[in-house]
Amino acid sequence: MSGPNGMLYGGDEIGALVFDPGHHSLRVGYAQEDTPKADIPAVIGVGPATHIPDAEQKVPDGNVTQSGTKTGNELRHYIDVTELHVPRPNMEVQTYMKDGQIENWDLFEKMLDYCYTKVIRSPSEHHPALFTEAVWTTRPAREKLAELLFEKYQAPAFFLVKNAVLAAFANGKSTALVVDAGASQTSAVPVVDGYALVSAAVRSPVGGDHLAAQAKNMLNSMHIQMLPVYSIQSKEVIRERERARYTLKTLPAGLTPSWQQYMLKRQYEDFCHCIAQVSETAYDERTAAVVPGVHYEFPGGYHQDFGPERFKLTECLFEQSLGAPHLVCAAASACDADARPALWGSVVACGGVAALGGWLERLAKELASRAPSSHRLKTHAAPSPAERRFAAWIGGSILASIGSFQQMWISSQEYDEGGKGQLERKCP
Amino acid sequence: MTDILDILDIEQPSASEVTRDSIIHGDKNKKKYVTAKTVRRPEGMHREVFALLYNDNKELPPLLPTDTGKGYKQNKAKLGMRKARKWVWAPFTNPARKDNAVFHHWKRAADEAKEYPFAQFNKQVSIPSYSESEYNQYLKSEDWSQAETDHLMDLCQRFDLRFIVIHDRWDRAAFRDRSIEDLKERYYNICGILSKVKTNPWSNTVTLVNGEKRVYHYDADHERKRKEQLKRLFERTQEQIDEEQMLIAELKKIEARKRERERKTQDLQKLISRADSGSNTLNTGNTNDVSNTPTNAANMSRRHDRKLHKKKLSSQQRPVRALEAVTVEWSGIKFPEARGTGVWLRSQRMKLPPGVGQRKTKAIEQELRLMSIDIAPTPTEAICKHFNELRSDLALALDLKNALASCEFELQALRHQYEALNPGKTLTIPPSICNTSTDVESKPVGEIIDVVGSPSAVNNTI
Ligand SMILES: Nc1ncnc2c1ncn2[C@@H]1O[C@H](COP(=O)(O)OP(=O)(O)O)[C@@H](O)[C@H]1O
Ligand SMILES: [Mg+2]
Repeated sequence: MSGPNGMLYGGDEIGALVFDPGHHSLRVGYAQEDTPKADIPAVIGVGPATHIPDAEQKVPDGNVTQSGTKTGNELRHYIDVTELHVPRPNMEVQTYMKDGQIENWDLFEKMLDYCYTKVIRSPSEHHPALFTEAVWTTRPAREKLAELLFEKYQAPAFFLVKNAVLAAFANGKSTALVVDAGASQTSAVPVVDGYALVSAAVRSPVGGDHLAAQAKNMLNSMHIQMLPVYSIQSKEVIRERERARYTLKTLPAGLTPSWQQYMLKRQYEDFCHCIAQVSETAYDERTAAVVPGVHYEFPGGYHQDFGPERFKLTECLFEQSLGAPHLVCAAASACDADARPALWGSVVACGGVAALGGWLERLAKELASRAPSSHRLKTHAAPSPAERRFAAWIGGSILASIGSFQQMWISSQEYDEGGKGQLERKCP
Repeated sequence: MTDILDILDIEQPSASEVTRDSIIHGDKNKKKYVTAKTVRRPEGMHREVFALLYNDNKELPPLLPTDTGKGYKQNKAKLGMRKARKWVWAPFTNPARKDNAVFHHWKRAADEAKEYPFAQFNKQVSIPSYSESEYNQYLKSEDWSQAETDHLMDLCQRFDLRFIVIHDRWDRAAFRDRSIEDLKERYYNICGILSKVKTNPWSNTVTLVNGEKRVYHYDADHERKRKEQLKRLFERTQEQIDEEQMLIAELKKIEARKRERERKTQDLQKLISRADSGSNTLNTGNTNDVSNTPTNAANMSRRHDRKLHKKKLSSQQRPVRALEAVTVEWSGIKFPEARGTGVWLRSQRMKLPPGVGQRKTKAIEQELRLMSIDIAPTPTEAICKHFNELRSDLALALDLKNALASCEFELQALRHQYEALNPGKTLTIPPSICNTSTDVESKPVGEIIDVVGSPSAVNNTI
């Protein structure tokens, strides 16, 4: 914190935790670290507790939190992949997120319990908690979160920051036009001097989920079957494009559609991560055909090369009026003219979809053709895919470990005195 | 250092510095070899030979390798040159906070408790405040209600006068939407009024100049205009931008052409003035010395006429400049006068100075050959002088000739341009300015040079 010669260095860590709840996953970890401790899927399996897992699947009940009463309809919550990705009869998959904010608070509480007991493994009373939020989070949702943290978890301090602001910080900017291409939506938010301009923020429902849905359509139209990976007992090695030969597992009866769909969605996402690629300019059959294909093997054993399809698939992310370039332009033009040069000069990209190969280059190219030529345009993003995906969390990690930030927290004393009404003032 | 201490038998202070030795031997006190007991060097034995003898402790060396001694691995490695100092997870309060909340952080156990160092960065903009009555007395406005003004001042405080953010967070549900300029205007107005009626000097809007309060005046109309222009600048369409680019490129081309033309005119002016200064002295000075052929004089005057014409032409294009551009500067060839001290060959004086280019030198030599003059004559005093003058005049003549040719060329080019732009018409150039190329060529070069010669050439006779 301070050096031998009285120099003051920027950091002062106070054991704070950073939570970044997203549609795809929740990131949680200690401030001052460079990656989150855990990246937990943002869905929770809810099933009857009466079920006794098969012998081979029996794990010490580590990751399972129990709730309900001992009598009758006991419910168990299955969190994180090791628990969630196990086929269990009557386990419904539910999410606590809706439209970028937390909606189902009971479920979210289960998630927080899991974070504190299994990830952090330290009492919540010891750690100030910094949460990220979407720009358009409503006031009741924000206040509910503060209430939860202070009253249920006894957090010593709490703070809420807009994830766009944090993504800008993670890229070393306090003024930036942040494009966040997440799972459920893509948004563009101008950030000026560390404050998000709420009224200029724009978003569209095109994101990673949309891409996965497109992948599903594409594979259907190519008559390629995506078998659930958990249903395969064994498969034979076959030649490319040959009919798959596999044997199926006997699965427990009563697998819920929500769980099956969730599992399939993960597989389509995996397919996208492996093969999807964004072409530098608008899709063109001939240029795409020149690029060597990428091989992908499906769970059933069927495998083939994907060539131009890789590029065709991602075109849905750059649709005229829904794609990221359009959003950036709309957000910039909604800003005051004085702020625009600085915003165009630092367009910051983050979010999981921004980690797609070629995505950033395409964005830069499209912006260059759309941005007013009187501005100097510069597009930034962290170099590694993980850093792009975790940009908001990393920004939170930086912020919460800065010495001069420590005066910003809403402490539990302040909460006791001022109530949740002060949230609007203290966390702009 | 240790060696010297050893030699002088000085007890070492227990080292807090980590050395390689103390890492290897750990904290164990260094075993002092007892050298006192050792046998003295026998008389007559060389020191070097004696040094080869084994005499550590007088023990026999071990017969088998042993591993009971302390090796590297049993020792704790010490990193850094000092002993590690302890850190503790300690509570602290932050004076920048109003609530005395206690947080914990790591600090050195030895560091005494002092004020939280980051508190010094807690800086706030001070915003003027007013009471209800002050508002009613001074700040009432047709356009702004008190609630709205309060809201503005509150936002100013919260966002430290970042008006872009203030505008963004403006409560549009409660109050009507206002532009940033409106907000700024109201805020600075209030600052101005309050700084006049109240004594507390706050923030940056009031500066004291010679004990007199200066209030920052915000020119809202100007700002509105500026922003409007900025917006228009940013919202130009691609066609507009392209057109502007095209026009700029055109303008640049035109300017380049103009500059080129001016340069040429100036060159010409220089030459003319040179020639003129030559002939002027010729007229005013000893006229009796003028070359004997009257035809030459007539020729000369005609040439002069023509030059004046040209001068007029060019001065019509750029009247002011052309007149100013007349620089009376002699640029035949300037031969350096005096050499350094000591003996030197006179032929040195006939060497062309380095400023004369290769091409000019060649051309002069060519002319000399045409006149069948030796290009390296015997350098008597007189020959030297006249030969130099001759070459100087030749150089000028060549320049003039070139200038004439380029003018001629330009004239023709302009005529072609004129005819191209006005098809059907022809431009007849009056013969007075048209160079009937026979004119110069037919004349023996020597004659021209005689006439236009330098003053010194006129005054001097061989
Ligand atoms: N390496 C990758 N390549 C392509 N897409 C990815 C990659 N990693 C994650 N994604 C996609 O990004 C989305 C998650 O982005 P994220 O920013 O974490 O969303 P959220 O903040 O809503 O949780 C998912 O749809 C996922 O499929
Ligand atoms: Mg996100």
